[in-house]
Amino acid sequence: MDVSAIIDASTSKYKSVEVEKDIPVEIDAGLLTVTDINPIDEDLYKEDREAYLQELARDGIQLLLGSIFSLPTQSSSDGPLALLPPATTLLPRAKPLPKPKPPTKWERFAAAKGIQHKVRDKKVWDEEKQEWVNRWGMRGKNKDVEEQWIHELPDNAPDDHNPAQAARQERKARIAKNERQHLGNVARAQSSDERSKRKVELERDLATTRISTASMGKFDKKLEGEPKLRGVKRKFDANEKSAKDERQDSLAILSKLDGSGAKKSKQGASGSDDVLNVRKAIRFASRGRGGVALGKDALRGGAGKSSRGGGGRGKRGGRK
Amino acid sequence: MLRTVKPKNARSKRALEAREPKEVEDVKTAIFIRGTHTGERINNVMKELMALKRPDAISFSKKNEIRPFEDSTSLDFWSKKNDASLFVIGQSSKKRPDNLVFARTFDHQVLDMCEVGVTSFTGMNEFKTPKSTPGHRPLMHFASELFDTHHRFIQLKSLLLDFFNGEVIDAIFLAGLEHVISVTLSPTPASLTTTSALTDEEDLSILPTVHIRTYTVRLLASGARTPRAELTPMGPFLDLRLRRYQAADPEMLKQAMKRPKLKKQDIEKGLGKKRKNVEVDEMGDVRGRVHLGKQDLGKLQVRKMKGLKEGGDELRKRRKALDVSGDSDAE
Repeated sequence: MDVSAIIDASTSKYKSVEVEKDIPVEIDAGLLTVTDINPIDEDLYKEDREAYLQELARDGIQLLLGSIFSLPTQSSSDGPLALLPPATTLLPRAKPLPKPKPPTKWERFAAAKGIQHKVRDKKVWDEEKQEWVNRWGMRGKNKDVEEQWIHELPDNAPDDHNPAQAARQERKARIAKNERQHLGNVARAQSSDERSKRKVELERDLATTRISTASMGKFDKKLEGEPKLRGVKRKFDANEKSAKDERQDSLAILSKLDGSGAKKSKQGASGSDDVLNVRKAIRFASRGRGGVALGKDALRGGAGKSSRGGGGRGKRGGRK
Repeated sequence: MLRTVKPKNARSKRALEAREPKEVEDVKTAIFIRGTHTGERINNVMKELMALKRPDAISFSKKNEIRPFEDSTSLDFWSKKNDASLFVIGQSSKKRPDNLVFARTFDHQVLDMCEVGVTSFTGMNEFKTPKSTPGHRPLMHFASELFDTHHRFIQLKSLLLDFFNGEVIDAIFLAGLEHVISVTLSPTPASLTTTSALTDEEDLSILPTVHIRTYTVRLLASGARTPRAELTPMGPFLDLRLRRYQAADPEMLKQAMKRPKLKKQDIEKGLGKKRKNVEVDEMGDVRGRVHLGKQDLGKLQVRKMKGLKEGGDELRKRRKALDVSGDSDAE
């Protein structure tokens, strides 16, 4: 049996969906858009403009439909839904990206402990009423105790003890505590943003300028409502400390008095035009302990290697 | 500058929250503004463009003294007040007859603008053909190589796309594809193909005309999965000439082009950063592998046997010695 006749008949019944283009068109199925970058034919345009424009649009739309109808579909009650890919043409947003909210204290704790967020129902089942009631709010379950008509009195209760009022106060205290925690979270969120950081910086600068006059601010004109400057309280070392710490501190003072290490190297770095920054190199080689320590290590020879682990401690000692 | 209001009740709070920036944005609302004088043609153009943009369109029916290229503060204010980010400003003057300005904003600040002159207009009513349903997504068609090469037409394409089709959706009803908006340029003049890259200050008269055509589309059976498209003119038909423009500030555009990071779901699928030892199985459960350290087999409790008791050797020796003495007694 020859089927070519049947195929011919069926193809002639329908018009073709094939479109020929010199340069393939750019199809952005996510935005339902087709861009045809073939040049416009001048002769056809001049001959019959509207017909040409419509023909051009039809060809482009045909290609677009081809790509849309080949997308995966999902059936729904109103007909097939084509699942569109993300758009390839980038369009500017109308508003900036939303800023992530700073986590609350609880959220940070929960994240550290790996506690999953659980959605708690707003309604709870009331066994007595046999219905769902609000957990809180109007006719809420949390007011059951204070609203019941009979109360159990503890044995040691004082004469003026009012159990209903006590339960109410307890509930109000919980609300107040939650409010306090909320305000704390808000304050923390505010203090971490850029603006308030800048404010702290400015206040510090202002405080520095206020004590930077010849009288250290003592005889300056005060503005009305100007806050009093609060200095930093001095902190003293403990009277008794370990012999090791004391030795370290004394050595640090001695190395400062000696004056051979830091100053000389500083001059060397600024005076010479060498590519090598000697001061930095010494700091690096001695792991931040200075040239003196490096010299000591060199004298001790192999011992220097073994004491490498103590580099951090030595640095801290040197700054005291 | 608008006051920042603190919501006093839940409804206004919801309304304010709806205006806050979102990761996936809603469709952009367009405001249609009339200048001090608008001719009949511009009025009709704005009416019909609004019909295409509905329901995300706001019409300002009063006249406004507005020159967007000189002072854009009014646009910024209206954008904030109406939570809209697209503007179509119509004005007709002796210098620029039948003028139309397309503008869009980012963060309630004007991002870019493009001015066009309407040279010819045919309204919907002049075509006695079926019209599309308001609110349906159009199919967009752009034809000319200049949409890929010339900065003016790249901007125009972006603006028109944003205007008619900017919303990001993840699925569409195939039966809802009703109409087509086609933007075609007249043939590119030879002077533009050769020197467009060289000349910055171009002559506006050499830029080709923009033909905006709208058609309804009929999907005919084709014997294949893809239907055959047939177009019927719907209107409006617009012919536009480009006039002034304002390009987007690069810094602002960079901010506007920022995309949200990959979602958690995508990361779990493996699109984002690699997560070690965690996977999602076919049931959608997250499964992880945990390293427990090396097991100390020395402390392993095995079956208790007499012979394996601690200090067994000495006990055995002593017992043996006892047995020997007992035997000798018996003999």
